[in-house]
Amino acid sequence: MQDELFEADIVVIGGGSAGSTAAIRAKELNPKAKVLLLEKAHIKRSGAIAIGMDGLNNAVIPGHATPEQYVKEITMANDGIVDQAAVLAYAQNSFAMIQKLDSWGVKFQKTETGDFDVKKVHHNGNYVLPMPEGYDLKKILARRIKRALVQVSNRIMATRIVVEGGRVVGVLGLDTREGHLHVIRCKAVILCCGASGRLGLPASGYLFGTYENPSNAGDGYSMAYQAGAELTGIECFQINPLIKDYNGPACAYVTGPFGGHTVNAHGHRFIESDYWSGRMMLEFYRELHSANGPVYLKLDHLAPETISEIEGVLHKTERPSRGRFHLGREQSYGSDPVEMHISEIGLCCGHSASGVWVSERGETSVPGLYAAGDMACVPHNYLLGALVYGQICAENASQYMSELGSEAVPEEAIESERRRIFAPLQRPNGIPAHQYEYKVRRLVNDYLQPPKTEVRMETGLKHFMRAKEELDELGASSPHDLMRVMECHFIRDCAEMAARASLFRKESRWGLYHYRLDYPELDNQDWFCHVNLKKDATGQMVAFKRPVAPYLVSLDAAELSSYHHIRVPNAENQRISASL
Amino acid sequence: MSQIDNREVVKSQEAAAAGRAQTAVRFDVPVIVNEQRCITGCRVCIDSCPVDCLAVNPETGKAHMRFDECWYCLACETDCPKDAIVVKIPYLVR
Repeated sequence: MQDELFEADIVVIGGGSAGSTAAIRAKELNPKAKVLLLEKAHIKRSGAIAIGMDGLNNAVIPGHATPEQYVKEITMANDGIVDQAAVLAYAQNSFAMIQKLDSWGVKFQKTETGDFDVKKVHHNGNYVLPMPEGYDLKKILARRIKRALVQVSNRIMATRIVVEGGRVVGVLGLDTREGHLHVIRCKAVILCCGASGRLGLPASGYLFGTYENPSNAGDGYSMAYQAGAELTGIECFQINPLIKDYNGPACAYVTGPFGGHTVNAHGHRFIESDYWSGRMMLEFYRELHSANGPVYLKLDHLAPETISEIEGVLHKTERPSRGRFHLGREQSYGSDPVEMHISEIGLCCGHSASGVWVSERGETSVPGLYAAGDMACVPHNYLLGALVYGQICAENASQYMSELGSEAVPEEAIESERRRIFAPLQRPNGIPAHQYEYKVRRLVNDYLQPPKTEVRMETGLKHFMRAKEELDELGASSPHDLMRVMECHFIRDCAEMAARASLFRKESRWGLYHYRLDYPELDNQDWFCHVNLKKDATGQMVAFKRPVAPYLVSLDAAELSSYHHIRVPNAENQRISASL
Repeated sequence: MSQIDNREVVKSQEAAAAGRAQTAVRFDVPVIVNEQRCITGCRVCIDSCPVDCLAVNPETGKAHMRFDECWYCLACETDCPKDAIVVKIPYLVR
């Protein structure tokens, strides 16, 4: 089969939120630049926001919050382990992005006076901006990509970033419909591949019933690692409070401002703030597994018209099949509390802090390689952070590549990737990708799901190393199968990273996200640092410490621990938890 | 006793070196296409699917769910110009 050969100045991998603004911005800055956008799905419905988003979780809007307040809030929410320069760069560009989206026709909720209708969900400040008509967002972005004359290749799955002479020179990938190898020569790459959403297995056992869009299989994490980039905070897992059995949030961000809240089986509130922090998840986990469990979202005390309004948002935009799920179980928000559970584990910076190490310029540790969105570590960056960092990456990548010539992609890199991608076709009776994936993800649940312990994680790691050998047994008989096999490579790499980073950090931090039973205390003496991973000169995965850069916005000790006091100081709650 | 042990050792070695056999499994899938309404040659839903689980059924020329890999996101159902698709919550989840 003939290879497809391309040449571009900048390749953007992934056309979700971050990838859209990256590609659009690169063309805005330099209309003559050749910008190629590779999308595994189709840009009209791809990325975390394939269907839409209910709101912005971290809008920094003048009059409601300042960038400095926001940096403080995220520093607290992430137990101090943040590169504040990166968070600040987001916060300073947040409002301009909202205005840009507003001018593109994205509909935000506004008050009668035309001001943005900001809500309070975080522990301290006001950052949540509802988007009840957020189902148009992806369409608007896709239209802007076309208008900017970005070259788009849909159904192309990037599999390798080629680094030569210490810098990025190309991208290799698979046409998942036709089965061609794509060889792209380029000067800079912006990785925007989303979260590692197919890491843990949902309790239903349905492989694609994940919280994250399952096309986000950790592709970017694996490609960045294999290219030699550093990753950070991988031990700070993504775990979300979801509707039991359904992969949608319950969703405190939407219902909170209307008066909905989380309660235990006795109908009592037990957390003060529904903002998704690791500390909140730990209290949630404890309540769920105590005599007070399960945990519910309580809405049945609200007026019928308020419930209709909530359903209007929750059943239309971000997870439109949610209403169908509740109806199937003959439940309604008006009469039944919504049973909640915790999601499978994943890696994500939109919600948590596990991702590729990036500077406030969006640069990874490999020259010419940039990363934005859920896969790039700017903690709690969410949708708006992805949109902002897509732009930041495009600005810096454009500047970086402007004086560079392009280098050929070495033949041996192409041949070795060709062998890796197409080898499963030689084994049509090999292990099917879905069986391999099920097993690895089941082992992730068994050995990595918090609470974590040394021996359990070491055992898991052995399984993941065995799974590395088993990749050579996978079989395929179509381009679609080859895509799933390559995703098995990505998922396994992420599992190994999750185990090694979690083993390295010998303390507990970020509540449930890195709760170790063998090191249950926060230890700022030894572990007030980032834990980074990379591939060393011998090809081994190594973990090491990186100091936290001096803060730009200072916090006192009381502020730093303010997210530690999430549990409601209610006598009834204290009595019950004391007796456990 | 020792005979049984020997047999187990032999069988274990045989199992480790054995080839592969396959079986076909039936799946109840969530995406249901109304073939009367579905337009032959239209690929809107197939383009919309973020996980590429839909394809043209070569026997009918109509769209169908080829792989049990659905996020029940409703992109196909929403984008279908003929309202020919309904997505059920997958059996394991509903």
